[in-house]
Amino acid sequence: MQRDVGSFPLAPGLRAKLIGAGFQTAQELLEIGPCELSKEIGISKEDALETLQIVRRECNSNATKTAGDPEAVGKCTALELLAQEQAQGFIITFCSALDDILGGGVQLTKITEICGAPGVGKTQLCMQLAVDVQIPECFGGLAGEAVFIDTEGSFMVDRVVDIATACVQHCQLIAETHQEEDFQKSLETFSLESILSHIYYFRCHDYTELLAQVYLLPDFLSEHSKVRLVIVDGIAFPFRHDFEDLSLRTRLLNGLAQQLISIANAHKLAVVLTNQMTTRIGQSQSMLVPALGESWGHAATIRLIFHWDNKQRLATLYKSPSQKESTVPFHITPHGFRDVHPPPPSQTPAEVEINPRKRPRIEGDKQQ
Amino acid sequence: MVILRAGLCPGLTAEMIQLLKANGIATVVDLVSSDLEEVARKCSLSYKALVAVRRVLLAQFSAFPVNGADLYEELKSSTAILSTGSRSLDRLLDSGLYTGEVTELTGAPGSGKTQVCLSIAVSTSHDLKQNVLYVDSTGGFTASRLLQLAQTRTGDEEEQVEALQKIQVARVFDVYKMLDVLQELRCSVSQQVLSSSGPVKVLVVDSVSAVICPLLGGRQAEGLALMMQLARELKTLARELSMAVVVTNHVTRDGSSGHLKPALGRSWSFVPSTRVLLESREGTWGKASTRRIASLTKSSRQPTGIEVELDIGSCGVLEESPAASGEGR
Repeated sequence: MQRDVGSFPLAPGLRAKLIGAGFQTAQELLEIGPCELSKEIGISKEDALETLQIVRRECNSNATKTAGDPEAVGKCTALELLAQEQAQGFIITFCSALDDILGGGVQLTKITEICGAPGVGKTQLCMQLAVDVQIPECFGGLAGEAVFIDTEGSFMVDRVVDIATACVQHCQLIAETHQEEDFQKSLETFSLESILSHIYYFRCHDYTELLAQVYLLPDFLSEHSKVRLVIVDGIAFPFRHDFEDLSLRTRLLNGLAQQLISIANAHKLAVVLTNQMTTRIGQSQSMLVPALGESWGHAATIRLIFHWDNKQRLATLYKSPSQKESTVPFHITPHGFRDVHPPPPSQTPAEVEINPRKRPRIEGDKQQ
Repeated sequence: MVILRAGLCPGLTAEMIQLLKANGIATVVDLVSSDLEEVARKCSLSYKALVAVRRVLLAQFSAFPVNGADLYEELKSSTAILSTGSRSLDRLLDSGLYTGEVTELTGAPGSGKTQVCLSIAVSTSHDLKQNVLYVDSTGGFTASRLLQLAQTRTGDEEEQVEALQKIQVARVFDVYKMLDVLQELRCSVSQQVLSSSGPVKVLVVDSVSAVICPLLGGRQAEGLALMMQLARELKTLARELSMAVVVTNHVTRDGSSGHLKPALGRSWSFVPSTRVLLESREGTWGKASTRRIASLTKSSRQPTGIEVELDIGSCGVLEESPAASGEGR
């Protein structure tokens, strides 16, 4: 293997010693044993053994890869990815206009960021999504669980109870009109208690706890494999106060973003983050821009900005790899996140059977 | 800095190496740059043997000079110019992507870097029928958007499927895995393991700064070392395997002047030969627009400051009619 010694994940001091002794490629390292290595470089035998194990492991995994097993590092053709994407579902938001501009709802395996001024509805949407991800599959949902990481303390359980009750009622109305076996069966498991018990809530008080929580998340997710949504409500809050060194903040945020996207990809779930707004003072005017700086803007794959227009709340899709930029209005009702205008009349049962993924809409349930 | 080993060249025996090591000469560089008379005296080795060994080592390990005319002929025969599928972008890049070079796209979030990359991938796999390796480190790769772009180029489903099959996608989110993927590509080509359809001609890395930014800064130099490793891999792939490499980079705000500048600092700015900055026309995010301005900020062939307008809407990076593909020598 002609791999460079510098490209292995070794400790910096160890790497410097290896290069100082003249080792350049992995081939040279593989040829000597741990005792000789420890004598040549002047490190302990355990360190030498560990180093050689790391190098051998990386080289062996490379060998099996070139032998025709591309799954190890995740290489596949665009066609296979397309099939995967088309089979994936979305997490609906109960606001059909917002679902449309997002291309069906919140996408899995991507990070969606919601920015907005205080009070515009970011936490409301997060709570709505934590309930919506649990909708059973026959109603067009994902039947998954949710992880809610709260840094601001804005999670109100009473509000989630209201949203969940409205969602269960909505599904009950659908089941009554369509009168099918599996609708009734899934309704038995979809109740208020089950919804609340499948939202895993973590409270983090500062950025160290947040980083630790995200670091421990893969272990948690391997035990709870039905989780399909991770919400971090308030990623800006712990990083905005109490930080003298801004370059450290950028580094930590970038590392956090990479960890989150790799979790989203490995476990096939959606990550939703909320961000605050800050004022940027330009030459002649000042604008509201999302907080945490320019480099954070690149971290999220999809960016939604919520803002006010007189008394109307608007949502703008600002950044997305597959959808155009557009703006839609939305409402926050006692039942949760909803459209402004009533949605089109409900589809006939025949249409529902043809496309079971599409969520059927009911006229009478939505109150505006 | 190759260490001396028995059998590295004829005449270099194990006893010789032991004697040399005892006197502090462990690598090829040490031997070649030391005074041979003194070494012969100290290690009690024959002077003639040492001179012979040095000559062989120099022949083995030093680089050969090439004169300009030969280099020009070699480049003329091995470089290809791959059209990006968009006439205005080709004009900006002096008729397309050159193999053997690294091209960089920078821009603010939402400025269209991923869209341009996807469009380049589809145009290479469909118009030019070459293989593409797309390394995604941000999660921005959406296969359905790729299908949309392919559908605007051809209505034939079989051709669309074929185009999508020529694009290999690797999703890596940290720098070691990215180095892994690039090393594997180099090994598979050098061992002549041909995939079903042929060698990779275009390598797209979206984005490089997502994996490097968490490592830069602070008082540790590790980040810079890894960044330079990555740069060396990309340049080796470009030059030795004649690929066209496209990378995307973020922008950061300059502390003093408040302008946007590409991320990763000055050391990275020497790596790409061509740099393009993408911006949107509007300053506010209230109005939706699919028009972007691409300006050339660094180029070895064209004057900088050229600007063209691109439309990243539903037709991808195209104007009203699909561009004729450029030369592929």
